[in-house]
Amino acid sequence: MHLFLLIGLVAFTILAVLARDLLKAAIALAGASIFLAIIFFRMGGYYVSVFEITIVAGLITVLFIATVNMTRHQEQDVVESKWPRIIFPLFFLLFLVVDFLVMKKLLGTIPALQSAETGTFGEILWGKRSFDLIGQIGVIFAGVLSVLALFRKRSKHD
Amino acid sequence: MGFLEFLIILIVLPMMVAGVMPLIGRLSRRLVPDLIGNVTFFALFVYVIFVAKRLLGSNPAIVQQASWFNTPLNLSLMLDGFSLLMLLTVNMITFAVALYSIDYMEHYGAKANFYALLMLMVAGMNGLILTQDLFTMYVFLEVAAIASYALVAFGLEHDGLEAALKYLLLSAVASVLVLIAIAILFGTVGSLQFGDLAAAAQAPEMRGVIIFCSVLFLVGFGVKAAIVPFHAWLPDAHPSAPAPISAMLSGVLIKVSGVYAMFRIFYSVIGLTPSLTQIILWLGVISMFVGALTALGQTDMKRMLAYSSISQIGYVIIGLGLGTPLGVIGGLFHLFNHAIFKSLLFLNSGSVQYATGTRDLHLMGGLAKRMPITAATSAVGSLSIAGVPPLNGFWSKVIIIIALFQAKMHLVAWLAVIASVVTLWYYLILQRHAFFGKLNEAWSGIKEAPFWMSLSTILLGLLCIAVGLLFPLMINSWLKPAAEALTGPIQVALNFFGL
Repeated sequence: MHLFLLIGLVAFTILAVLARDLLKAAIALAGASIFLAIIFFRMGGYYVSVFEITIVAGLITVLFIATVNMTRHQEQDVVESKWPRIIFPLFFLLFLVVDFLVMKKLLGTIPALQSAETGTFGEILWGKRSFDLIGQIGVIFAGVLSVLALFRKRSKHD
Repeated sequence: MGFLEFLIILIVLPMMVAGVMPLIGRLSRRLVPDLIGNVTFFALFVYVIFVAKRLLGSNPAIVQQASWFNTPLNLSLMLDGFSLLMLLTVNMITFAVALYSIDYMEHYGAKANFYALLMLMVAGMNGLILTQDLFTMYVFLEVAAIASYALVAFGLEHDGLEAALKYLLLSAVASVLVLIAIAILFGTVGSLQFGDLAAAAQAPEMRGVIIFCSVLFLVGFGVKAAIVPFHAWLPDAHPSAPAPISAMLSGVLIKVSGVYAMFRIFYSVIGLTPSLTQIILWLGVISMFVGALTALGQTDMKRMLAYSSISQIGYVIIGLGLGTPLGVIGGLFHLFNHAIFKSLLFLNSGSVQYATGTRDLHLMGGLAKRMPITAATSAVGSLSIAGVPPLNGFWSKVIIIIALFQAKMHLVAWLAVIASVVTLWYYLILQRHAFFGKLNEAWSGIKEAPFWMSLSTILLGLLCIAVGLLFPLMINSWLKPAAEALTGPIQVALNFFGL
């Protein structure tokens, strides 16, 4: 089952990268995200799974699709380079070879997983990772302010 | 402990002001954002010099636990000599940049948003410097990075947007590599605290994991620091950004999110092995040379400065990678000095572009007659970066070169000397094309940069001279504790200079 989920995740991710149609790429990304969320769920990461489904597969996909639909009428025929279509599969094959040759050996050298931070989601988020929360607020601020700055209209005063 | 003694102020204050800045921008387009922005950055600078420095005192390091209404939070900040030096560098340069921005950012508009993003960039860097947790370091790395993407493209011109996209894509790859390394270490050790990781890294069975993670960190932070061959984003991003942001990127961001993060992890967490030292050292040598030789062929003033940053980061990497006490002092000193003179030179290039509208050196000429302050401060910056005595760049370069000779690395030492000569060569080209010779007719009507822009460059120019003349003071009060935080007691190394 895990192998099936991993193949699904990789296949949808490749589709998202290689799809020429932005709408199809966004939907493929959502598909990959659903596979990832199922993997998280099966591995016991229930909260991460819910976040992955709601935020990435849900909210971000809606934003992508809305943006693509809003910009479609401005699309022009642009000649795309063929290199990504050649380089990406080659790189992927190279990655598989390296993965097969190196990772198995490397993973064998990693000691047994230690018990990580334990506690409920709330305890970890508020009690143990408080500093990260401040950083996350910073990330959200930075994102919002970037949108405000980059999508601004220059007024006549400027 | 009084409220003002909480180091978290360095993160929370700029973040809070960034939060209200867009609202302030609706009330006042220029005056109030300028005032609040500059007062905040000045307060942060003063806080580092007086409060943070006093808090550290003669301790090797202090750890502060924050609390919320007397409930202790699991939020600990660590301050040692290395982080204090980085805090000084970041907040000092940001204040100079903010002063410069009062006039320079007038024609870009949306000043409140500009200051807000700049504050988030600073909050991200301060957070990254003060944490002792690997994942928190990553989160704050992203805060600074996201703000910097937007700031590179702030002018909304085609070049800036394209450069920001390229920067974003390469930086995202770097962040993913760093994140993978963090995930592997967390999965293996079960903790993200520097101390726990450092203790676990000593175990022989961790060797494979440590080597693999070292490679990921080296490439990831190598991209952020723009070390050759991971530098492709920098020559586009730095020239395309507005001048104050170019100064921030070259002056501090590549140092904090690249050099500081890399060496904090290598020195304090996973350890610097002899093979890793050799790799870092030679990456530094390649950066130093490739950057210098590429800068030599540039005709775009800001692009020349961008390649020069790659070259100078090479010196920093060589000093810190060498790992000897004197090498570390030299590397840290050059990091600090480069922040000053590279910010100065980028701000000067902004003043020239502000007056002439061009960055092409072949279209300039004789600007010293119309822009004497810019020309004079640019000469100070150029001579400093080229390592001409008694300016600050001379001392840091000479310390690195002596450290190399002491470590019997004669070839690298001579290469560093040759690269310094090449640096002098292309900065003389820059000076000659831009400021000396006959005044180009087209620029007969231009004026010197406005007051705040000139004041900022004068302050940085004076700093180059003052740090050069008072370098023993700088070494004893700021650099010695910083180097000791990385390598332990260093008095033997300082005896060489009679300090």
